[in-house]
Amino acid sequence: MSHQLGRVVSEILLRYFGEIVEKVGKDLFMYGSKPIGMILKTTGLPRAQIVDSLRTLLKFDLASFEPSANEVIADYKLIPENVLLLIRYPRYLLQMKSKFGSEAELLVEELLQQATCTATELVVTLAIKYKDDKEKNINIVKLKDVFISLATAGYIQQAPVAEIKEGSEIPTLVPVATIVPDLDARQLMQVMNSGNLAEANDNVYWKVNYDRFHQDFRDDLMIKAVTRRIDDNAGELMRFLLQQMYLTSAAWAPESNPAPALELRESCRRAAAERPLLHQHADQYLKVLEENGTGFVRRSGDAAGGQFVVRVRHAAEQLVLSVIEHTVQERLGSKAARIFRLIRSKKYIGEEDIQKHAMLPNKECKELTYKLLEQHFISVQPMRKAASAGGMAKAIYLYHINLHEVAHTTAQMCYRSLHNVVRRGAHERQQHSRLLHKQRRVRTIVHGMRLRNEPQQNIDDVEETLTPPERAALASVEQRLKQLSAAELELDRTLFILDWYFTYPH
Amino acid sequence: MSESQEEELKEKILNIARKNPKGITDNDITTAIPDLTSAELVTTINKLLQQGCFDIYKQGGSLVYRLKAQSSKQAVKGADNEEKVVFNLIEEAGNKGIWIRDIRNGSNLANTQLTKVLKNLESKKLIKAVKCVNASKKKVYMLYNLEPDRSVSGGAWYQDQDFESEFVDILNRQCLRFLQQRADKIKNNPRGPIIGRTQSYATAAEVQKYITDLGISNVKLEVEDVITILNTLVYDGKAESSVYPDGSKVYRAIETLIPPPGLVQVPCGVCPLIHKCCSSGLVTPQDCVYMAEWLD
Repeated sequence: MSHQLGRVVSEILLRYFGEIVEKVGKDLFMYGSKPIGMILKTTGLPRAQIVDSLRTLLKFDLASFEPSANEVIADYKLIPENVLLLIRYPRYLLQMKSKFGSEAELLVEELLQQATCTATELVVTLAIKYKDDKEKNINIVKLKDVFISLATAGYIQQAPVAEIKEGSEIPTLVPVATIVPDLDARQLMQVMNSGNLAEANDNVYWKVNYDRFHQDFRDDLMIKAVTRRIDDNAGELMRFLLQQMYLTSAAWAPESNPAPALELRESCRRAAAERPLLHQHADQYLKVLEENGTGFVRRSGDAAGGQFVVRVRHAAEQLVLSVIEHTVQERLGSKAARIFRLIRSKKYIGEEDIQKHAMLPNKECKELTYKLLEQHFISVQPMRKAASAGGMAKAIYLYHINLHEVAHTTAQMCYRSLHNVVRRGAHERQQHSRLLHKQRRVRTIVHGMRLRNEPQQNIDDVEETLTPPERAALASVEQRLKQLSAAELELDRTLFILDWYFTYPH
Repeated sequence: MSESQEEELKEKILNIARKNPKGITDNDITTAIPDLTSAELVTTINKLLQQGCFDIYKQGGSLVYRLKAQSSKQAVKGADNEEKVVFNLIEEAGNKGIWIRDIRNGSNLANTQLTKVLKNLESKKLIKAVKCVNASKKKVYMLYNLEPDRSVSGGAWYQDQDFESEFVDILNRQCLRFLQQRADKIKNNPRGPIIGRTQSYATAAEVQKYITDLGISNVKLEVEDVITILNTLVYDGKAESSVYPDGSKVYRAIETLIPPPGLVQVPCGVCPLIHKCCSSGLVTPQDCVYMAEWLD
């Protein structure tokens, strides 16, 4: 809960939901949880608008509520982590598209936009929307099947149900165990043709399960890291290990339960056609995976040909360290990164020893060390000699790294950067709003004319109202906005690693 | 005992010592010169020790005097007493050298006289002054023919007491190149990853041979020197080290776990003004020049 987080959260709310919601969200962020009456006082907005904003926030799971002390009114609280997820939506869609195909992407996209929705409504809306789209060739049976496989894989889950406890007027949201639905394609067709959703009598609501996606992202990071360090066969083996982990352990456990080598060998055997080397040298790959410097995998016992544990927490630590090292290297140069790693490997180290091991000229070495200290990448621990008289007592200064603190520093930098990028994007849009607006108008008019089959001459006339310099300006703005949104996604990736690290207590 | 008698006695003892290069004891002297009283013996031996003719050792409970090497004696021949004292002090210091203040304390000479003596000795090429690496203003003196100790000269990485960072950088790059040449062996090695890993490792001795063969260094580099360089590679995050069963250290070039993260791909991640950047004021994301440059 920092000032920087508040800034980025309010900037994101402003972009996606507009000024009023942003005002309410910012107010909630600053004061923690508070009831409507208090929000009314501090924001000065009309009550109806506040209620509407809260409704939006609650719908998208960006805020939560709980009964306040007197059990009659509710206290509202913003969930900033979920607000940041709004930036991650494109990544969810990409993941869906690459894993389950474009139908899944459409389903998840629609569900993200609706926040919660019944299965019937979701499938039927999509089917109607893409009825005339010959290219995509969407049909209701396919949509239904994909929906069921998504629910089975846990990417979507049933939304919590509101329950009113006795003696309280405030409902509480109770999570429900997801039951994979049995959708009837014929009935869905019927609903689609009649256009009356009430007919389906479906009142099970669904929402996207972010956590499942995050597990995928985590696996991906670990597999890629191993691939970079060893080779893609080892990466594949890492994937098998993680698959074993899904079967036996809690999703975010710091260390997975041991997986027997036998089963891993079995997985390798099944993949023998694509990866003959992995099959041939499965044991050797396990050994290399266990013994390399990353330490993602640990051998926990020798029973059944060896038991292997995935050290998820350790992996998070290694990856965060890698992020920080990159940051130090880019900010202060590779020599500073060398000092940073040196301090990390020696745990506690004095200034003299840094100079000796880093092989840098004294002056440069001192300068970089102090810069690292100034930017909070390293910490210093003075060791004073006890009971020595006067100013003669020379303290020893030991440098060390508190990874948790440095990770926080880096996260703050990420928030700041993300805020700046989003803000800059808004600024660019605002500056060229007249042009963007005009472009949009021209496009709608041309689209309408095409539909009415008006002569090409007229269409060209309308299109030419955008002059060449205007077109050039538009192209450059679009290019800039594209770059900014790519940067947002990349920053979000960095934040993901940091968040993953913070999930484990330190 | 008169002067002449004393000189005679000294000559006698020295003669005995010359006959026994392994050293002589009090007993040897008394058997050779039977009419010597113990008081005379002690004074003469003390004088000889003072002049630096003998080294004194203890062997099986009795003292052994051994004649000092002739070369160093001869070197100061023709020098006056002060010069001898200073020379001896410097000689004792060995290749670690001795600081001028310590010479002054040890010899009890006045500052001006001492500088004169030192200059004399230097001009005779008997001693030399060496600048110390860890304290740039401190000069130490040692015998002319000695190679300065690593703690004084700083080893291979110092030239005239200046740290040669370019030299270190070049070696660092060459070592990395050598490691990278074999790094890919681990990738999809048809003979299995363990053999691949072994092939991608390089021992410090191999790296040292490669560096020596390249001929980029006119100083002879020891294996320890190469290990220091290889360790900097480890601290650079470009290599990892491991230990072979026989205890020798091996190195392998590696890549970082992740490609450069998003934070350093945006200008803010590397911006020196990031902590001064606010929503309003002089530094804002809207008018940021770094960002404008990046977007264009």
